Amino acid sequence: MKNLIERAEAKLDEWGAKLEQKNIEYPVDLICGILFLVIGIVLLLIMPQQVQISEKDVVNGRAFPTMLIWLMLAMSALLVGREAYNMVMHRPTKTKTLNLLVETKALVIVLILVVTYLLAEVTDLFVVGAVFCALAFLVFFRCKKPLYYAITVSMAVLIWVVFHFVLNVSF
Amino acid sequence: MKKRIAALVTAGVLALSMLTGCGSKQESWKVTCPWAPSGVAAMVSQKAAAKSPDYSDNKITLVAEAVKGDAATVNTWVSSTKANDKELVFAGEGLFAITETLDPAKLQFSYDDFEFVENLYSSVFVLSADSSLNLKNLDDLEAYVKAGNPVSVAVNGATGSEAFLAAALFGSMGAGDQLKLTPYQSAAEAAQAVAKGETNFAVSHQSQILETYQQGGVDVVCAFDDKAIENGPFAGVEGVGSKGYPYFRNRCFVMARKGTDAAKVAELKELYDKILADDEMVEWLNDTMLLEVDTMTEDDVKAHIENVKSIVEQYKDIVAG
Amino acid sequence: MGLFDFIGPASGLLFTLENIIWINLGVFIGCVFAAIPGLSVILCIILFLPVTYTMRAIPGMMFLLGIYCAGGYGGSVSAILINTPGTPHAAATMLDGYPLSKMGRTKAALKIALYASTFGGIFSALVLLFLGPQVAKISAQLGTAEYFMVCLFGMTIIAGVSGKSLVKGIIAACLGLLISCVGADPMTSYDRFTFGIPRLYLGLDLAVTLIGLFALVEIIGKAELKRNELNLHAGKIGNDDGKITKDEYKRMFRPVLMGSIIGSCVGIVPGTGASEASWFSYNTAKNLSKHPEEFGHGSVEGVAAAESANNAVCGATLIPLLTLGIPGDGCVAIMLSALMINGLNPGLSLFTTDGAIMYAIMLGLILVNIFMFLQGKYLTSLFAKVVSIPQQILTPIIVIFCFAGAYSVNSSYFDLSVALVFGVMAWFMRKLELPAVPVLLGMVLGNMTETNFRRALLISDGSPKIFFSSVYCWIFIALIVVVIIGILRGKMKETKNAKVEQ
Repeated sequence: MKNLIERAEAKLDEWGAKLEQKNIEYPVDLICGILFLVIGIVLLLIMPQQVQISEKDVVNGRAFPTMLIWLMLAMSALLVGREAYNMVMHRPTKTKTLNLLVETKALVIVLILVVTYLLAEVTDLFVVGAVFCALAFLVFFRCKKPLYYAITVSMAVLIWVVFHFVLNVSF
Repeated sequence: MKKRIAALVTAGVLALSMLTGCGSKQESWKVTCPWAPSGVAAMVSQKAAAKSPDYSDNKITLVAEAVKGDAATVNTWVSSTKANDKELVFAGEGLFAITETLDPAKLQFSYDDFEFVENLYSSVFVLSADSSLNLKNLDDLEAYVKAGNPVSVAVNGATGSEAFLAAALFGSMGAGDQLKLTPYQSAAEAAQAVAKGETNFAVSHQSQILETYQQGGVDVVCAFDDKAIENGPFAGVEGVGSKGYPYFRNRCFVMARKGTDAAKVAELKELYDKILADDEMVEWLNDTMLLEVDTMTEDDVKAHIENVKSIVEQYKDIVAG
Repeated sequence: MGLFDFIGPASGLLFTLENIIWINLGVFIGCVFAAIPGLSVILCIILFLPVTYTMRAIPGMMFLLGIYCAGGYGGSVSAILINTPGTPHAAATMLDGYPLSKMGRTKAALKIALYASTFGGIFSALVLLFLGPQVAKISAQLGTAEYFMVCLFGMTIIAGVSGKSLVKGIIAACLGLLISCVGADPMTSYDRFTFGIPRLYLGLDLAVTLIGLFALVEIIGKAELKRNELNLHAGKIGNDDGKITKDEYKRMFRPVLMGSIIGSCVGIVPGTGASEASWFSYNTAKNLSKHPEEFGHGSVEGVAAAESANNAVCGATLIPLLTLGIPGDGCVAIMLSALMINGLNPGLSLFTTDGAIMYAIMLGLILVNIFMFLQGKYLTSLFAKVVSIPQQILTPIIVIFCFAGAYSVNSSYFDLSVALVFGVMAWFMRKLELPAVPVLLGMVLGNMTETNFRRALLISDGSPKIFFSSVYCWIFIALIVVVIIGILRGKMKETKNAKVEQ
């Protein structure tokens, strides 16, 4: 068993080392601007279906979100415009680097969170999700100390007990 | 040593969780109020819950909870409960008559999803006017409206009971076009709006306008009832029903989930009836909250809902446009 | 009715065993969270907010204020011990606290931080007690149009919390304001942006979204940790006698007093925070000191100035919150929802109808600082050990707290999925360098801003003249203009400095 774990960890380390080398550089302000331009336009397009109004209203329910969307569009256009100008003028644009190892690990964490939520919802027993969460994170961090497992699982159960029986949250 | 401590902690926690699972024989019923925790219904619910141990022969105790959200809270309640769950919820004409008529898609339930337990209270809403208008009674109000003066009314929520009472009164006076409803996010805010001069009128619970009235900021013109108010600081204020204008009282129905044992529903009704007959409770409801004890049968409830529905149908264009 | 009419009933409400226990629990938890680098006070308040839902107003607020104030002090523990500020506002403390610790005066450094924090905290609690009710009296005279102006003034907070890019701060704020539009329209009850999901009629719950935005994103952020960063090793608390000489006490007095005044002034202005106050105070103390050369090398004045200022912010931020409903920073924004859940709406009515509760909360802040002092005096060695709790244990416990908290808000698993979506959204925002605090402020101020804007226009039959119709409107317009000019000047200066550095 120990051998198997060690072999699995060695394989993971090998993949990790490869992923750690891979970086993706992207123009952060430009992408941010484009993304919010798209979001703003989509919101404007779906507004008539999503926000019902009455003809009697002096200022209807679309007025405030529309103002906000236009402000968001203006700011996004400013970001895109500034970055585009920098590109045309061959000036440095603002960039950010993504590390594939970090992003893969983040994805695994999100997966742990989703499974925790699903386990709690499907079983309708929060403590099941909580214990899974405790174990999954310890495995994720490659923890080998039984004491840590005992403490964390106990804490998971204790939190559920406190919420369920002391704070009367039925889950 | 560390391992021993860890083992002890684990064992302790597990034992505690198992022990706490053993319940007592006392039944605890959670009562969900779907409106503001500081509102009238939530306060009465708290008071009733506090009284429940005195009248349940140690069998049923009520636990009051307020989760603001109106229809959404009741939707959640209906979807998460089943027959015989120890859960109760409040509903009133706002949900069964107003929302059901104006925006039925918002409701994932109907009256048939509930078993009626009891009516917690009846509230006679009042119309207050900016004191500078010098309107003291319905005659003054009729004259004011007839003269074509502006009618702006502060109400709690855009399509609540208050809005429909205002629409029904001014609509039947022929001033539906003159009427401007200004919604506020709480009854207290709406009451203050008249004193600040933002609107000419407000419709509110009696208790919510009392402070402003005592400070001289407003006059209470009429009550939304068939006859004049009999008790309290507003005794003698005319009821709009006396002049043939439409009205309804605001009521708060305590409901259990459909299919709950009839014997249990009867037991709960008995408990509520005992609480509502308690001298201290009656005094508190009348003198402090300016409400009335008004126990009802299911037929009374259905008649009330039908009455409100007909008013909503008639005046919905004034309120919702 | 004023302070002296309410002091009796307020004391009766405050001095109960229940409140004392909750204050101490809050102070303890706040110190522990702030002492651990990476765990913020805002995260702590979010995690423990659901606990207050079943509590009455005073114990609930005492618990949260305990966390908030103790967080101001707790951050200094790791700053002094391991040269890593537990919270961002302890960064200035670190400059002199850690050198003092290296000089073998760890206990003395912790003691100075504690004394200065307590003085600053009590000073600002008194400012709140005497100034708060006066501001509330003004707030009672504000109508719908004036309230809209107050909201606009509140929006200037965004500039202060936008980080490097004001443009991105505005985008993030718009996002928060748009999120606040989800659910029933406050003026008509029609649905907005519910996408046919009935649960969204109610809107998105602030507490749930915050768990995603601030707590779960930190968990996802653990992906950035390298294996050797999982355990932090705090130094031992030291064997020095912790003695502070008479001369040092004398030297500390002026910076502590100055720091308390600066912290209180900064705290009243929405959008500024403890970090700004501590740096401002540190700089002022350095400029006024007879020994400026000691700053950065273990100056007692430096530690005292920074710590008194960051704790003096706590009481002052409550002034705009309790009187106008404008939260001064992210932590206080969350406390606003704790007040609302108990039916306490900020404004003058809070000081008249619920005067006893309000004064109990304000007096309680003094009590919080006293207990913070006592816990700091006797439990600092424990807080120092807490700094070394491994991330392997801490991370899942935080997640479980987050999920339990999110569920307990409405007893619904739907809220867990909302928290998860917001957690992932916040992770993408990080990748786009979009700040999260403006989103929070947008969500807090959104409903209030929109409702007052639309209602004011409804009252005036659509005429915008209503926004210029009173003296108070003009005062707020002037304040907004002054703040915007200040922000623009600051940004221009920053850009200029950056160019010079390049």
